[in-house]
Amino acid sequence: LNGSRHSSSSIQRTKVLVLGLRRSGKSSIQQVLFNNLPPKQSFYLEPTYRIVKTQIDTVVPLELWDTPGHATPESIGIPIGQFRSLIFVIDIRDLYNQPITKLVSFVTAAYQSNPDINIEVFVHKSEKLQEDDKIENFRHIQERVTDRLLDLAPEYENIQPNFYLTSIYDHSLHEAFSRVLHKLIDSLPYLEDMLNVFCANSQSPKAFLFDTKSRLYVATDASPVDTATHNLCCDYLEMLTSFGTLYKSTASTSRHSPPTTSEDPQLLSSNGASLTPSPTTSTGVPPQSSKKHPKEMFYPSAATSLHPSTPGTTLTYHEITSSLALLALVPTSVYEGRRGLLEYNVVFFREGVQEICDVEKETREGG
Amino acid sequence: MKKKVLLMGASGSGKTSMRSLIFSNNPASLTSRLGATIDVEQNHVRFLGDLILNLWDCGGQDSFMDSYLTTQRPTIFQQVGVMIYVFDAESHEPIKDMEYYRDCLEGLRYFSPEAAIFILIHKMDLIREPQQLLDKRRQELQEVSGDVSIQLFGTTIFDQTLYKAWSSIVHTLIPNASILSKHLSIFAQACGATEVILFERTTFLVIATSSSGTGVASSAVPTYAKDGSDHQLEPTRYERTSELIKAFKYTCSRVREEFHTLELDLHDFSAVLDELTKNTYVLVILHDPTIETAAVKLNIRLARSKFETLQADSLN
Ligand SMILES: Nc1nc2c(ncn2[C@@H]2O[C@H](COP(=O)(O)OP(=O)(O)OP(=O)(O)O)[C@@H](O)[C@H]2O)c(=O)[nH]1
Ligand SMILES: Nc1nc2c(ncn2[C@@H]2O[C@H](COP(=O)(O)OP(=O)(O)O)[C@@H](O)[C@H]2O)c(=O)[nH]1
Ligand SMILES: [Mg+2]
Repeated sequence: LNGSRHSSSSIQRTKVLVLGLRRSGKSSIQQVLFNNLPPKQSFYLEPTYRIVKTQIDTVVPLELWDTPGHATPESIGIPIGQFRSLIFVIDIRDLYNQPITKLVSFVTAAYQSNPDINIEVFVHKSEKLQEDDKIENFRHIQERVTDRLLDLAPEYENIQPNFYLTSIYDHSLHEAFSRVLHKLIDSLPYLEDMLNVFCANSQSPKAFLFDTKSRLYVATDASPVDTATHNLCCDYLEMLTSFGTLYKSTASTSRHSPPTTSEDPQLLSSNGASLTPSPTTSTGVPPQSSKKHPKEMFYPSAATSLHPSTPGTTLTYHEITSSLALLALVPTSVYEGRRGLLEYNVVFFREGVQEICDVEKETREGG
Repeated sequence: MKKKVLLMGASGSGKTSMRSLIFSNNPASLTSRLGATIDVEQNHVRFLGDLILNLWDCGGQDSFMDSYLTTQRPTIFQQVGVMIYVFDAESHEPIKDMEYYRDCLEGLRYFSPEAAIFILIHKMDLIREPQQLLDKRRQELQEVSGDVSIQLFGTTIFDQTLYKAWSSIVHTLIPNASILSKHLSIFAQACGATEVILFERTTFLVIATSSSGTGVASSAVPTYAKDGSDHQLEPTRYERTSELIKAFKYTCSRVREEFHTLELDLHDFSAVLDELTKNTYVLVILHDPTIETAAVKLNIRLARSKFETLQADSLN
């Protein structure tokens, strides 16, 4: 359907099983995240009668298995242990036994052969309830699940399901799925390290590496994720994507290929005294690039300044690869006064991420 | 300078909703909480420098309408600059709607014969065959309006059509918008820009563009750049820009930040969106890769005082 874009079939994909009673919202979740379905339109989705596998290309090539409501561990066709994660979707208003019984049957089936499997529980359609009821139902469902598992066998104490409140009508779904994705990224610690270094060197209080198309964040620095900041970055990315199509000229082809002269040092110095020229031109020695990426001349970028809180914050966007983008909050003083340093940090970060992606890709292709 | 703007139409047709989107930066999702407007809600909105819009949001329940057309008639219809008549596209009482419209038109003709008339067929998001409905309504309304000239738009609070309609509306209220356009196109040439667009600061409605002397009215026509190259741009770009920036402004306000400026350097074009005057924002679009956004920012700074003066003049 969607993820099949230029992906070789030989590539190894990480399998994720999506479970839940019928009408709990499984298909809606996937369509909204990966097919840009407007949430309101999910109302018209057809029920799922058979297992549907969708290939999704994020940093980790995924294979999502969408299941019908009546699926059992035996009807899946392969051992449940072969999945890296189970995502279980429960309607937040559904407090009865049925979904929990189903969840427990899958968890126990998986645990025998793969005790490390990730159990992710989406307590879904959360926007339907008021704040107090929402929290109460959420806690209630968590308790029921853990109690039921413990009742079955003491060893199930080791199973630690992760619970998330989600809704397709706000950013909670993106944030939850991002956290699901993080556990599947083997190189996550390296990405996080690089983001920490970037933040320290750029005086950035927060930076995210986003998968551009799905708007899931792939990694972030060590500072805690504040939901409001996460939402701001998601919306910014969405705005930039839409804006990018508006003023595209249908008559001319991409103005930045072949190589551009926009980084001509003469032009830069004639424009604004306060700007430090970017190090890629001023030093003449661009940071070393791996052989696989012939030095590309141009990567899109954007910045928006958020006023008026002193000293002021600028939200920056830098393309890192064709599918990844770095979004960072930086003090406006740094963005305006030390632009060269910032650009240098981005180039350094980009080289690192590209290298990691290359290694990952090689391993996947069984190289 | 004060301009009176009448917002009329049946109860529930969406008048207060659109007002809260355009002038208060509220999102569409919150409009379902609005209650019916009681009598007339008057608002003063400082629009451009000395131009103040005096908005009369007239509650549309029958009892109010009847009183507007009888005892309150002179008060309502005197000194009107623009009347915006809103029809619910899915109305269950089309005949009654039309009768009220005809009566309002008469009142306006008597007390403010010079007023411009805009008709919005609203909630178009609910309609399956939008073009068909618009054509039909246009014909009916033209007939009822006789020799009075009307401008008709299909709108919904869920997309850019609302911004297109309202940009046209405020455009009629800015006396010398064409002078602004002329100077914008001089500015565009100085920057090497494909296009320059001027927005009002709080509403982000389009005031003028460099592409034509007639401003927003020509946005349906593709733009050819001044430099002789053949850039052909998306026809709905102005209103979609308004919509996108408004939505982003709302996002920023939710984290207690305030949107200030934006610059982009993309594969296909680069752009700078920055304050021009106290009341306006300017968007400069560049397709020439040799031009730096930093140079454009400097040019904007240099053009500020010129446009402050122009803007003040254009209102007198
Ligand atoms: N589907 C849809 N609903 C809309 C649209 N615009 C407004 N509404 C809804 O219509 C309802 C009534 O809107 P109001 O703005 O209160 O209507 P009004 O014209 O001010 O009504 P009165 O004040 O009684 O005259 C609200 O629930 C809005 O959410 C639209 O474009 N599409
Ligand atoms: N209110 C609300 N409804 C949702 C949400 N997610 C899905 N739905 C609705 O739930 C219904 C069932 O969704 P669907 O994806 O077909 O469920 P599935 O059978 O589990 O695949 C649809 O009418 C969706 O519009 C949500 O977050 N909030
Ligand atoms: Mg109202």
